Amino acid sequence: MKILFYGRLADAIGPELEVPAPPGSSVGDLRNNLTASHPEIVGVLRSRRALTCVGDRLVHDDYRLTDTDTLEFLPPVSGG
Amino acid sequence: MSVVAQLEESALDPARELATLLARAEGDGAFVSFTGVARPGSKGGQTVYRLVLEHHSVLTARSLEQIALDAAARFDVSHVHVVHRVGDISAGEPIVFVGTASLHRRAAFEAADYLMDRLKTEAVFWKREIGDAGSSWVEPTAADYADRERWG
Repeated sequence: MKILFYGRLADAIGPELEVPAPPGSSVGDLRNNLTASHPEIVGVLRSRRALTCVGDRLVHDDYRLTDTDTLEFLPPVSGG
Repeated sequence: MSVVAQLEESALDPARELATLLARAEGDGAFVSFTGVARPGSKGGQTVYRLVLEHHSVLTARSLEQIALDAAARFDVSHVHVVHRVGDISAGEPIVFVGTASLHRRAAFEAADYLMDRLKTEAVFWKREIGDAGSSWVEPTAADYADRERWG
């Protein structure tokens, strides 16, 4: 499945990543995998102000992903 | 009642936006406008040449609309007008315009204040400063989040 990253996460990981998502994988599972492979940005990946989305809807760590989902990781936002 | 929530890819002209609001809200007694401008210096005191505001193809516009609609519902205002830049913004250029109109001043002041507190912390943008210190991401400060919390 595809993961998209924005802001400082895109800087660290790249804007897009293709990863295997075994059946039953959750957003939390993928977050754990990413923090293991990118420990330098664990603070952003686990920030309570970071958001995860599928299909432009917010999802939480318990959301179960399918192979056709595109997961988006949004670091803390800042307008104005 | 009108609610405008717009992303702007080219230069933002606050005078033009205010004129639009004034014309649209004829008959109201109070107009408040706020313009946020890209500062030429970072918090650390280094020169900033420009900002880059990255956005999301769907969620950014949705966040602006939701914040503007929430302000319109919460305060006794007749018009809410939000325009936010995306892309490259040179130091000194406007980033955001917020305008509100109401019969009496208090609602217009409060709605503009509320809009900015939410835009700073919830509008879906990622802000990068480019300057003498190189490139760095800018996120809301603890004070920005505290300002947002005032509204519950």
